[in-house]
Amino acid sequence: MDDLIEDLLGIAPGSPLAELRRRRPEALRHAQGAYRELLMPDDPGNVSHAERAALALRVALRENDAALAKHFRGLLEKAGAQEAIMLAEDLSAAPMEGRLAALLRYADVVAARPAEVSQGTIDSLSAMDLTPRDIVAVTQLVSFVPYQVRLIAGLRAMLEEKTA
Amino acid sequence: MKRFTMEEVGWTPRIPPIEEATATPAQRAALDACPPAQRSSVYFRTLANDPGSLGERGALFNTVMYAPRGLPRADREFSTAIVSMANGCVYCTSVHARRFTELSKQREAMQRVLDEGHRVETDPRRRAIADFSERLTLEPGAVTAADLAPLRAAGMDDLEVLDLIHSIAMFANANRLMQSLGETDAAE
Repeated sequence: MDDLIEDLLGIAPGSPLAELRRRRPEALRHAQGAYRELLMPDDPGNVSHAERAALALRVALRENDAALAKHFRGLLEKAGAQEAIMLAEDLSAAPMEGRLAALLRYADVVAARPAEVSQGTIDSLSAMDLTPRDIVAVTQLVSFVPYQVRLIAGLRAMLEEKTA
Repeated sequence: MKRFTMEEVGWTPRIPPIEEATATPAQRAALDACPPAQRSSVYFRTLANDPGSLGERGALFNTVMYAPRGLPRADREFSTAIVSMANGCVYCTSVHARRFTELSKQREAMQRVLDEGHRVETDPRRRAIADFSERLTLEPGAVTAADLAPLRAAGMDDLEVLDLIHSIAMFANANRLMQSLGETDAAE
């Protein structure tokens, strides 16, 4: 079975950590399922696969997870979305215009300072013609990357423990 | 730390939740994948606006918090309360502090942590869980095998450590969703 987390960590099939993770098969299956549904859903609504990958890249960078960021950048490269990569990777405070820039700023707040999200923040997404479904999808996505970051960090510590 | 409580706290969504009577089959199926006690809550009905992500994410949440064996449920609840405090999510903290108290009957210990922070925790196992929960929440990139040593010293096996990592990671997600998609009504 394809598993992004094991690919990124280089966890070999049949290794002790791979076997341990298979004692929680639903956690494995639904983390991969959530990744698929959030990054490449069959019906993406008004938020394209490229925009989704750009948001994921942005959060991975904000969270300082280089391996995860490289993965999401790869999705954008495959889609030929160079401009989205440039925007997502510009972590300067320089003002950015446009729809993707506004979505990236939302990702920044949710990832790092979720307590600062207000009704006005959400209303500004609605004003960009995002539906409630789009808003939930984007929020789920930028909240899911932090799950991946901590799962990867925890598993990396377990790997290190086993090789010590 | 006075703002954290185990009393019930309200939550008001910033977008309209799905109503059960008018839910589409996809929305209903996604809600059915969520923990039975919570699937009719306004929070899960808000997430049901996007049934694709809720179905997977709800099922993930369900197994992380309720899968049998491994880390005792009280420890999972304690950990997620600590993560929620570290992330400043008053609502999630109240829910999971309450569940921990119901499961463990350790109300005073929980209240002390809510009031004064987890460094006042004297139970070695809970202290190890709390320290690791905060560390993986706030500094995931800095976590090493050394951070697992206190968990091992408290007697935790591989499955328990994996369950703890899952719980902590789940609330990196849950706290952000809860704080972004709705307003927590200030505790009295």
